[in-house]
Amino acid sequence: MALPSPSQDGRRLRSERTKQSIMDAYIELLREKPDVPTAAQIAARAGISTRSVFERFVDLKGLSLSTLDYAFAMGEAQAVVRDVDGDRPTRLRSHVETRAHTCERWLPVWRVVVANQGKMEELRDRVRFIRQAIVKRVELMYRPELGVLSAEERRDLLIALEALIDFESWARMRDGHGLSFEEACSVWMRMIDRMLPPTPPSRDE
Amino acid sequence: MSRADASLDRPYRVDGRRLRSERTKQLIIEAYLALAQENSPQVPTAAEIAHRAGYSVRSVFERFPDIHSLQVAATDYALVQVAALAPARDGDGDRETRIRTQVETRGQSCERWLRLWRSLIVNQGDSAELRQRVVLSRERVVARLEFMYAPELSTLADTERRHVLIVLEALTDVESWARMREFFGLSFEEACVAWRQAIDRLLPPTPSTPAVAVHATGQPA
Repeated sequence: MALPSPSQDGRRLRSERTKQSIMDAYIELLREKPDVPTAAQIAARAGISTRSVFERFVDLKGLSLSTLDYAFAMGEAQAVVRDVDGDRPTRLRSHVETRAHTCERWLPVWRVVVANQGKMEELRDRVRFIRQAIVKRVELMYRPELGVLSAEERRDLLIALEALIDFESWARMRDGHGLSFEEACSVWMRMIDRMLPPTPPSRDE
Repeated sequence: MSRADASLDRPYRVDGRRLRSERTKQLIIEAYLALAQENSPQVPTAAEIAHRAGYSVRSVFERFPDIHSLQVAATDYALVQVAALAPARDGDGDRETRIRTQVETRGQSCERWLRLWRSLIVNQGDSAELRQRVVLSRERVVARLEFMYAPELSTLADTERRHVLIVLEALTDVESWARMREFFGLSFEEACVAWRQAIDRLLPPTPSTPAVAVHATGQPA
């Protein structure tokens, strides 16, 4: 089988870069205005023609879904799991700060996705997937405390914690109640601490 | 005698035309709410509303200058209904009773109004009037929480009390309820249990007497 020539590789790289710049433009527009942008607006922002957009994405729906996947991958990359083995205050701080940064960065995009999920089954699936990822992170960070609960109590607590650290809960603290980033983090940390059962001795001792 | 004085002497007469017009207005609002509920979060068109209410499109616009005005009027109407259907009960009950009552009342409200609420949130856009109503609705939830958990909240310093209220409001948000029911697949009763447990964990201990001195740390003296 023939290997791709260097010129083919270069073309492919350029095409990938264009694709990425289209998705970056899409995200930028969502951050500015909570409406799905048109292909023409995305193309203008990316500095390419509308035709170039559709050479890389079948349609706006395909572009929207690819952009969401790309945004999720970026969000995941920015929200690295840290301090899983730390003591309770360290884990609380690490989890809350990471989650808060994600909310701060991705809230406008999340809002558009949630508002439009009723129009697209695939969008709903992604919202579900992202929520599952949030719950999994909570499970990972508070494993010692959650481990002491019965299955039902654990499920109910996870549900409550997920509601507590929802994007809109963050938005209300920041926009509605005017809390600073640090104040809002402190609220989440104290409230999660209150909701979690005591850490079993073997962990922090 | 002035004209105003003369009018006072006349026997009170119900203005039939005005009454009919008010009734029409109400039926239009109800048609709007029914459609918004059915097709949430899509805003119904004037033609759909007129058809559902049994009037002409012209009749709709004779009473509301545009769809946005109708949206605002319908939201006000719905907010009154929400309040009327969820009266505060058991405010002086013990902790368990108060949590149970507050959660069940809130759960029923969420169940009833979820689709309309979603429509309002999605379509508030740049409308200052609709945004104001979203804020008002949240303030009412907070006021109810303050009322129901007054004994426990009274033991906290102002800032801590405010923070607990912010979190309780976020926890008992309509979308939080929707996630329990739609995403996690909980029954009404299971969802109530999840909220009850979470609220019980978030609230400080109930004081033995209502008035308790508070340390600067937020802990009861």
